[in-house]
Amino acid sequence: MLIIIGVVDQKEVENKRGIKMVKKGIANQVAIIGCDMTKYGELWDKSQYDLLFEAVRDATKDAGITKDDIDATWVGIFYYFTGLSGATVEDVLRMDGKPVTRTENYCASGMDAFRNACFGVASGAYDVVLACGVEKLTDEGSSGLPGFKIFGHPVLPIPSAPAMFSMAATRSFHEYGWTREDLARVAVKNHSNGVHHPKAHFRSEITIDQALRAPMIADPLGRFDCCAMSDGAAALILTRVEDAPSYAHGDNYIVVKANAISCYTNTPWYVPQGAVGCDFTHFPATEKAAAMAYKEAGITDPRKEIDLAEVHDCFTITELLNCQDLQFCDRGQAAEELKNGTFNWDGETAVNPSGGLKSFGHPIGSTGCRMLTEVTKHLQNRAEGRQVPDAKIGLGHNLGGAFSVCSVSILGQAK
Amino acid sequence: MAVEAGLDCLVGIDPKSVDGLFFATTTQVYTEKGSASLIATVLDMREDIITIDFTDSLKAGTTAVCRAVDTIKANKDIKSILIIASDTRKPEPGTMWEFSFGDSAAALLIAEEDLLPVSIEDYYSISANIAGPWKRPDKDKFIRTFEVKIDVQIYTQSITKVMSELLKRNNLQPEDIGGAAYYYNIPKLHGRIAKMMKFAGGVAQNGVFFQLGDLGTPMPFILLISSLRRPKPDAKMILAGYGDGADAILLQVRDKAILKSVSKNRMGVAAHQKSMITLKNYDWYLENKELLEKDRYSRKSSAVIHWRETQSLLQLYGIKCKNCGTIQYPMMFRSCYKCRADDQMEPVKLSLKGTIFTFTLDHLIGGGYYDTPVPRCVIDLDGGGRILLNMTEIENPQENVQIGMRVELTFRKQHESADFVNYYWSCRPERGRK
Repeated sequence: MLIIIGVVDQKEVENKRGIKMVKKGIANQVAIIGCDMTKYGELWDKSQYDLLFEAVRDATKDAGITKDDIDATWVGIFYYFTGLSGATVEDVLRMDGKPVTRTENYCASGMDAFRNACFGVASGAYDVVLACGVEKLTDEGSSGLPGFKIFGHPVLPIPSAPAMFSMAATRSFHEYGWTREDLARVAVKNHSNGVHHPKAHFRSEITIDQALRAPMIADPLGRFDCCAMSDGAAALILTRVEDAPSYAHGDNYIVVKANAISCYTNTPWYVPQGAVGCDFTHFPATEKAAAMAYKEAGITDPRKEIDLAEVHDCFTITELLNCQDLQFCDRGQAAEELKNGTFNWDGETAVNPSGGLKSFGHPIGSTGCRMLTEVTKHLQNRAEGRQVPDAKIGLGHNLGGAFSVCSVSILGQAK
Repeated sequence: MAVEAGLDCLVGIDPKSVDGLFFATTTQVYTEKGSASLIATVLDMREDIITIDFTDSLKAGTTAVCRAVDTIKANKDIKSILIIASDTRKPEPGTMWEFSFGDSAAALLIAEEDLLPVSIEDYYSISANIAGPWKRPDKDKFIRTFEVKIDVQIYTQSITKVMSELLKRNNLQPEDIGGAAYYYNIPKLHGRIAKMMKFAGGVAQNGVFFQLGDLGTPMPFILLISSLRRPKPDAKMILAGYGDGADAILLQVRDKAILKSVSKNRMGVAAHQKSMITLKNYDWYLENKELLEKDRYSRKSSAVIHWRETQSLLQLYGIKCKNCGTIQYPMMFRSCYKCRADDQMEPVKLSLKGTIFTFTLDHLIGGGYYDTPVPRCVIDLDGGGRILLNMTEIENPQENVQIGMRVELTFRKQHESADFVNYYWSCRPERGRK
């Protein structure tokens, strides 16, 4: 068959790229009835099995159920050395042959496990499901993330993770006039928040001067611009909203307002001039996932409506650019808004009140579940010692790979 | 280096028009597997050409010239052959070799045409079984020698004999010769030979030794190229190589104007010398030459990918979208980055020059880079296409790498995973042609 492709109308292409409204969607159908996370850190004395076991044990306890009440499980794991397939969970919990699926979607692996678990209950296929994530990074003993081989290619250059994001920093300095001091403020804010979180890896304040004096990792990103290599796990228990009040938290359950995933290229450094994402000063995946999630959740003014956001701060530049792409402020304004306190714990939009990846590190498969656990606790008004006042709507966000995959989930109070 | 010399030689010449590539070296990358075919592929030459590696002797370069002449004379389908000589002889640390050895590459295009800058009039060769230097495969890491004096004596005899015989065959006197480019590795011998040959002052080319060292196989080529910058009209010249015998080739400067334009558009010796940078320290040199054993960053290799992506990885082709015209890289993608049209791609040759769009200086790599930080540069190539390349030959990258900086591509060994030499492109600051 011969297919002749005519000249494509650019406007038509743009329209196609707009957000499609689906007939049913996921909003307001799924409830979080229990969640918890392990302590995060260099946990030499624990394996990935310990971490997953403890997170699930505490989440089921939080929901007032036992592991036998779980009908199906999705687990976020990035690295093969943490665990292959759903059998990793079976080895932890001995679920007696129940369905378990491993999700891998770069740094969004955990949040994508959550998203798929939501489908499990929303579809009616299961009544109670488990979404969890784990990563055991420190067993590898590498400084920086163990290499991930894009395409398994023999010669095309593969930058380290900090190098990927620092290319966005270099360009943002050039376009927006930002400096290393602007980046350091992200680290200072997040470490200051982390002091109050009992589960955080790092619990001490740092200064701008300290951040600026630290050794370079991938110029212009220094050590304090990068998140640490940490271990950890988190887990959430889900059911349909109509069944939620019968569990331990009663009416104080949390509702899933939206889940969105957006994928762009693995190799943004080949995106030619004029194509989406060629500028290195914004992340198209975040922009798109945010737009999808806001549409689904009915959010029109994110800066006002989102009370707290756990935003992917694998590197300081990532948080700044993501705050713009999540529409918390205009492009080029994130550094100034941060300086003015907009993103502080008690600011207009609290960004990373937990301390973020800067304080927790980034055990990749777990991070999405850790963020949604954190948001849940704030919305339930039980984030002891760090509670964002009057938090009604919260957002979790991951951006993984070379800005390739973004997940945005929006949670709200039960009413 | 061989690729670079070839690229410089073929400036303004369609590589598809050249009928063969002869590669001359004593430091072949593999003992079983040729290099000429790889170089020809990277230079984007045709498939139906002859490629030969001339190896094992320092006169491999001049021998390749003689054989190219024979081939062109004997085969009416072969009109031109590119000859590239390249050597990276690894000297034993702490020896006089370490002091004198230099790495180099040079290329000559031999063609049968009416309008030539320089013509080859005659050649003469002798064979001699000499003791040294030598290097046994699998046993010697470095060049070995016996008593150097005997080598010197045989060298002197051979090189003077081959040049004298060439003069005699052509009824020429020493004073008829306007330039002589012959291999030497001891400076004082160079003058002695000029005296023995009764060459006039300034005829014997000797400019490079004290600046560049003993350059191995390409040495006579480089001496010749250097002397052809200021050609004497109608001069007769001698090009002579030495090693297990000797070759002498008689040249005649034909068209001074063509010769001048040839050297004007190319880097030649002078511009390459100008672009040289000093190594930071001796340790850097030792590591770069793999004279120090250290754990190295290891990636996997794949013969299948190297083969499948030859055009993309070696010849630096990209793709152009027939729908929106956007040029992109690498070639493996089937859907357009810009307009998202499927399967509308056609191959397009990319430029070897470009401008840095953004970059980072990467200190973090799973193993030891000997020279961190490595600048990783997102480059907009001239005429279209965006690529990510590591930068090499950059001093003080913290100061010197900038957005908007001009760079050129250079074909380099990237790593030796799977015990295979994995080549790809790197970039470096753009150098000026003369």
